[in-house]
Amino acid sequence: MGNEILLGNGAVALGLVEAGCQVVTSYPGTPSSEILPEVVRLIKSEGLNTYVEWSTNEKVALDNAYAAAISGKRAACCMKQVGLNVAADSLMSAAYIGTTGALVIISCDDPGPHSSQTEQDTRLMARLAKVPVLDPSNPQEAREMVKLAMDLSEEFRIPVILRPAIRVCHARQNLSWGPLKNNDQKAYFIKDPGRWAATPRFRLVLHGELNEKLRKIGRRFETLPAHNFHNLEPGKTYPLGIIAGGVPYSVVRDILNEEKRTDIPVLKIGAPYPFPEALAKPFMSSCKKLLVVEETDTVIEYFLRDKKKVLGRLSGHVPPQGELVPQVIHGLINNVLNDLQLNPFNDNGDQEAIDLVKGLELPVRRPTLCPGCPHRASFFAIRKGRAKAIFTSDIGCYTLGLNLGGVDTCLDMGASITMASGFYHSFAQDEVQQPIVATIGDSTFFHSGTAGLLNAVYNDARFILVILDNAITAMTGMQPTPGLGIRADGSKGKAITLEKAVAGCGVDFIEIVDPYDIKAMSASLKKATKYVKDPEGGIAVIIARHPCVIAYRENAIPKKIKVTITDNCVECNFCLDRFECPALFKDEELGRVAVDQTLCVGCGVCLDICPKGAIVES
Amino acid sequence: MKPINIVLCGLGGQGILFMTKIMAQAATAKDLNIIGAETHGMAQRGGSVVSHLRIGDVENSLVKTGSAHFLLSLEENEAYRNIPFLDREGSLYVNAKTDRFPRAEVKPYLKKTGIIYRSVPAGEIAMGLGAPMSSNLALLGFFSVFHEVPLTYEDLRETIDHISPDRFKEINLKVFDAGVQKGKEESRL
Repeated sequence: MGNEILLGNGAVALGLVEAGCQVVTSYPGTPSSEILPEVVRLIKSEGLNTYVEWSTNEKVALDNAYAAAISGKRAACCMKQVGLNVAADSLMSAAYIGTTGALVIISCDDPGPHSSQTEQDTRLMARLAKVPVLDPSNPQEAREMVKLAMDLSEEFRIPVILRPAIRVCHARQNLSWGPLKNNDQKAYFIKDPGRWAATPRFRLVLHGELNEKLRKIGRRFETLPAHNFHNLEPGKTYPLGIIAGGVPYSVVRDILNEEKRTDIPVLKIGAPYPFPEALAKPFMSSCKKLLVVEETDTVIEYFLRDKKKVLGRLSGHVPPQGELVPQVIHGLINNVLNDLQLNPFNDNGDQEAIDLVKGLELPVRRPTLCPGCPHRASFFAIRKGRAKAIFTSDIGCYTLGLNLGGVDTCLDMGASITMASGFYHSFAQDEVQQPIVATIGDSTFFHSGTAGLLNAVYNDARFILVILDNAITAMTGMQPTPGLGIRADGSKGKAITLEKAVAGCGVDFIEIVDPYDIKAMSASLKKATKYVKDPEGGIAVIIARHPCVIAYRENAIPKKIKVTITDNCVECNFCLDRFECPALFKDEELGRVAVDQTLCVGCGVCLDICPKGAIVES
Repeated sequence: MKPINIVLCGLGGQGILFMTKIMAQAATAKDLNIIGAETHGMAQRGGSVVSHLRIGDVENSLVKTGSAHFLLSLEENEAYRNIPFLDREGSLYVNAKTDRFPRAEVKPYLKKTGIIYRSVPAGEIAMGLGAPMSSNLALLGFFSVFHEVPLTYEDLRETIDHISPDRFKEINLKVFDAGVQKGKEESRL
């Protein structure tokens, strides 16, 4: 039992536990990362036996949960939207084969994007895979929808996707709940290789079954008053109606309430696929024009048949990219009201303020690595030692190495390695020895580094790979990696030794250095360069090992060093541009660089970077 | 009750989320509903951080521009950046040296719109008490002197007492009280 202000992801976790979910797997990724830890918090406080795991990647997470779901259990796996790309292979096939228990895939979208490579819309992935999708508008609805998704999945033996967007995941809302208990459903597996290992011929039959399931679920979605509903008055016609789903629905609802607009009816579609055709039909015929407000792509709008009536992305009335924040939705509704010569809203009155702020030329605050971050030291040494190299990198805090000139590319998880081999072969074909340094974090390496590294070794690519091993998945909020041997619930697992995994991929050059020691790191890079160029050499791997200063606050810096700047500082800005430590700043009054002692963590790495030797121990 | 919209901002690491948590908890302790929005992930690494808090019965977590009743900023430039959120009857509270705030270009707009603005050297107050990371509590204490709706000084103080970890409780309350003191001095002027 409880009464708490929960994060949206906490509300999802609560929904999972309330729905009797027995297995939860996940790979962290903003905005989904807090779901699994919140499940862990609930199972500990309530003494439940739910199985939880941080899987090594999203496909692994989905496969694991899927096996539970064909053992009659209720299972879920959680990831960010681009994680579902990794798990897509598994998803597409699971949709055909189906389940015996329940499988709910929670894929969190990031309109904005705030912390992702793309703004892709998981609802389209659901459409592609032909599985039902639910689109909550706030944390409370997300919690209710988890239960609905579990029930639907079990009843129709089909995976169901819940796609909370970032404003659900990272919203906070006060919620209360009753007693939580274990689900005692036991695992069973009925052998049926014709289904579980179906050959292409039977896949056609399964596809037919899937289509039949969708037809039935579509009908169910037409009478789902908690999540799919409208407020038409019978027999009345309207000049304009709004159709909205997910987070934009909650924004539309608040705006119409604040503006006291009862003249605009709203059709809310919380379960957009399979599309509730019979619910949308009378709404469409009662309104002369319809404005569709949905995030981030075009799903509901595609399903509406009478396109002449519909205003949305296809007609240019809704921006095709970017988050639909309240002022954007307020503005776009108002534009439509003006176009249709309907009573417009009062001016939002923010334009003058926006222009004022623009004129102030405020400093742009780009995200940067934390003071004392070991990645900063690594990038400094790499940039200094291998200035002419192409720097392929990857997804994590260290993508911010681009501020330090240490990152040239960032494509997707694991691409630092695969692109390094791709670059190598492209240049080698022209007999050019292009230096390449790839950087990847420890968690990302475990996620999808090994397949690329095996491939690169096998195909004799040549590059330096620096694995930035800070013993944590930092960017997403400090989840353990397989290297730690600590599992999602805090219990002990078997720690995977990174260097053994690298050696297992066929790499013969492996050095382990502490990047805080810039001289040692530089020496290692020199040796690695030689090895890469040697005809008898190969790929050189340097493991830059130093714990994250945030995750291991107490012992990441065993001996704190107080630094100060002497009058030798000539204001060349080298330290600010190449090292970019938040604790170093230009003190306009002193006319030189200074140290912000409240931010400095005393790592002492900067003692080795000033060309004039102006940074000293005080 | 009409919903109250609050925007809290500053830089990553300044304790904006804790400040939001205090206000949210204080509101739910009075049986008010809250919904809010936070910044996580890449955006949190040292960049601008904005947190939204809405008290009352609303569905969506974000404050619309032009509708915040209160804007609390732990950094001067971040305060300017977020001025568009303020309602024309809103109030702005900023951690900044009183003699320089606000910038000359901003003053006419604030005067014209009737936005109430006050600054307090919250960072200095916190630093003076040996808690340089607690400027958030000094600002909150200062703010609490001037408004009783929807949360009073007592509501906030009780919540801080309730949710601070034991080893920070005394210092947190001390910094909050110092902010209150500063507010009282100013309200007497």
